[in-house]
Amino acid sequence: MKGRPNAKIAVASAVVVALALAATVGIVRFVLSREYRAPLRSDQAEQTPRVQAQQDEAAAQAKADRERPYSEESYRRFPVVGSRVAVWVLAQLHLLFAAFVLAVPLFVLIIEFIGWLNGDERYGELAHEFTKLLSVSLSLTASFGAFLLFMLVLLYPKFMNYLMHVFSPTFAPYVGLFFLEAFFLYTYYYGWGKFSAVTHLLLGLGLNIVGTAIMLIANAWLTFMTTPAGISESGAVISTMDAVRNYTWMPINIHRMIANVAFGGSVAAAFAAFKFLAAKTDAERAHYDWMGYIGNFVAICAFLPLPFAGYWLASEIYAYSQTLGLTMMGGAFSWLFIIQAVLIGNLFLGANYYLWLGMGRVQASERFQGYIKYLLILIALCFAVWATPRSIIATVSETRAMGGGSHPQLGYLGVMSAKNTAVNILILTTYVSFLLYRRSGRTPTVSWAKLGNALQVAISLLAGGIVLFLGIYGYFVEASVRIRLSVPQVGSVLFAMIAVTVIDVLMYRNAKSLGETHWGRIHPISQYVLIFLAVTFTWLMGLMGYVRSGLRQHWHVYGVVRDTSVDAFTPTLGYATRVVSVTVLLFFLLIGIVFWLASLSDHTKEHA
Amino acid sequence: MKVPVPLKILGFTVATTAFYTVVGQLVPQKEVHPPKQTALEKEMTSDELVKAGKEIMEGKGLCSTCHTIGKSGPLPFPDLDGIGAKAATRRPGLSAVDYLAQSLYDPDVYIVPGFNPGMPVIDEPPIGLTDQEVLALMAYLQSLGGQVTVTMESKVWPLAEGSGAAPPAGRD
Repeated sequence: MKGRPNAKIAVASAVVVALALAATVGIVRFVLSREYRAPLRSDQAEQTPRVQAQQDEAAAQAKADRERPYSEESYRRFPVVGSRVAVWVLAQLHLLFAAFVLAVPLFVLIIEFIGWLNGDERYGELAHEFTKLLSVSLSLTASFGAFLLFMLVLLYPKFMNYLMHVFSPTFAPYVGLFFLEAFFLYTYYYGWGKFSAVTHLLLGLGLNIVGTAIMLIANAWLTFMTTPAGISESGAVISTMDAVRNYTWMPINIHRMIANVAFGGSVAAAFAAFKFLAAKTDAERAHYDWMGYIGNFVAICAFLPLPFAGYWLASEIYAYSQTLGLTMMGGAFSWLFIIQAVLIGNLFLGANYYLWLGMGRVQASERFQGYIKYLLILIALCFAVWATPRSIIATVSETRAMGGGSHPQLGYLGVMSAKNTAVNILILTTYVSFLLYRRSGRTPTVSWAKLGNALQVAISLLAGGIVLFLGIYGYFVEASVRIRLSVPQVGSVLFAMIAVTVIDVLMYRNAKSLGETHWGRIHPISQYVLIFLAVTFTWLMGLMGYVRSGLRQHWHVYGVVRDTSVDAFTPTLGYATRVVSVTVLLFFLLIGIVFWLASLSDHTKEHA
Repeated sequence: MKVPVPLKILGFTVATTAFYTVVGQLVPQKEVHPPKQTALEKEMTSDELVKAGKEIMEGKGLCSTCHTIGKSGPLPFPDLDGIGAKAATRRPGLSAVDYLAQSLYDPDVYIVPGFNPGMPVIDEPPIGLTDQEVLALMAYLQSLGGQVTVTMESKVWPLAEGSGAAPPAGRD
């Protein structure tokens, strides 16, 4: 019996030993599988033809990388929207803020100067209030400018290298002037009331001179791209000065200067409108009504000669290259000018409507209100003529019925003779609206008042008659004669406006007041008209910026540096207008922040 | 509920912008691409040459931007209807081929009465047609009322000595 238990123990021990051995072998194998192996040993152990091929490939790639020659990239791609749209939006935002920062000091200086001359402190306060909008705007201008530059260098390196080849001598003065601009602006703003009046005015003058100089340099770069000069046939620079003074440089300088003032005035008026609508007291409403009126007055005064500056710019484009001119007016962009007509027509309608609403704040202005309906009819007619296209979108059967792409009667309104006539009469009509507003509540006391009135009417009718006659005459003469008729048309309107103003100023000296002007007593819809004008001006600037730049089509520098990027095509007008709208909305969101920040200083003063 | 003023202004701004965007969608929509290269070969029949020339006229040559074919009225530039026949009679001493070549390569030498100078030099940027492309274009112009005589082998420019190509008096 004793031997049986021992046998059991022996069997159990054998099983345990076997299990222990198995476990030990398992643990050893597990540990060995994770043991560190030197790479050499591993490679040698796992060398296969595939691994060898991979190693050869990697070595060849490394050799190719070491020996790769440097080559300059022409383009880089911006994600989602593409490089063109990215640069387009940034450039437009930079330009809008730059236009504002250049324009506001110009009319602020004039307002301050008027206040200094007549000793009316209200003008000084108004100028100061406008200036509040500047400091944040200057920061945004500089930020967008830097952003734009980085994007251009990043996305269009080869083209930017070419521009640097031509314009490198202009960069240092540009940066230097920018520092000077900041100096003058902040000294002008923070030095309000801390310097003598003359010193402060001189600071404002310095600010304007430096700002204009900055604009002149930047304009040289962009106008060179459309009408290059001062370079050889292959694009090598011969004279940077000639490149600066290219065909469209001076017309753009003048056009931009005037357009900037119109735009700046309208945005400042929109600020006043915002403050008017949010005002809680009659005194605030009166102040912001006046501010809005001045801003709008500045905008409209600058707006009236703008089409003339536009003619000059267009004629210089034609003088440089008929092809370029015809691409603009008769080719890919011809329909853009119909959109422009809608915008400018709206600007004229809005400007006149604001003046007519403004008569409500002046006592005894009722005597002029009867004329408004005639002015409205004239404006509506001219608007319709200007917006009539030469060729009409029609079906095949409609085109066949009309005998071509143009309407048999309305087609005659689509040519330049009709459009020049319409715009000149629009300008004259708006001027008459302003004249009526100016006369509201006053009557002349000079003995020759009747003669003066008769002269004014005669001059206006004569100018209108000349414009109309030359417009009709243009249909019966050859192209070489017709193209020159716009000059006497413009000349007669300008003469009429100057002559009538001179007579009016002399005639209304010591005029008898028929009633008070009640600032603030105006329908709130007038303030929305001011906002409408500001949005329309901004949108118009975006659209015309597009045509100025898009005119080059598939050229970075017209006829010299070709655009070979994926964006070399000209997009549809629908696409372009969508980009313009996005830019305009972004601008108004940002300018809203500027308004809000400018208002914060008012709150601080109120709490103090 | 009273809507805050900033919100009203925002809504009004968006509505005004939307209006102009809609106006932009109502006009004809056309994407303009850089001109395509027209395939030209040495051995081309007159018909093939005319077809290629028409393509160049409407594309790379940009001719259609200014010139019309078969239109009348107050036109800014000469209509090209029948130019194939008219070319031989425009300037005494110049054949149709010489006249067309001169009009394309040195366009300011002669301006059709009643019109202004404005024709660009066709073989220089931004248009920059090659000599072969100019030949195809000339073939097309000849086909407008005339007989096509140019081939891809023709040498049309500069004009031969004594072809009557002397510039009019007074020209630099």
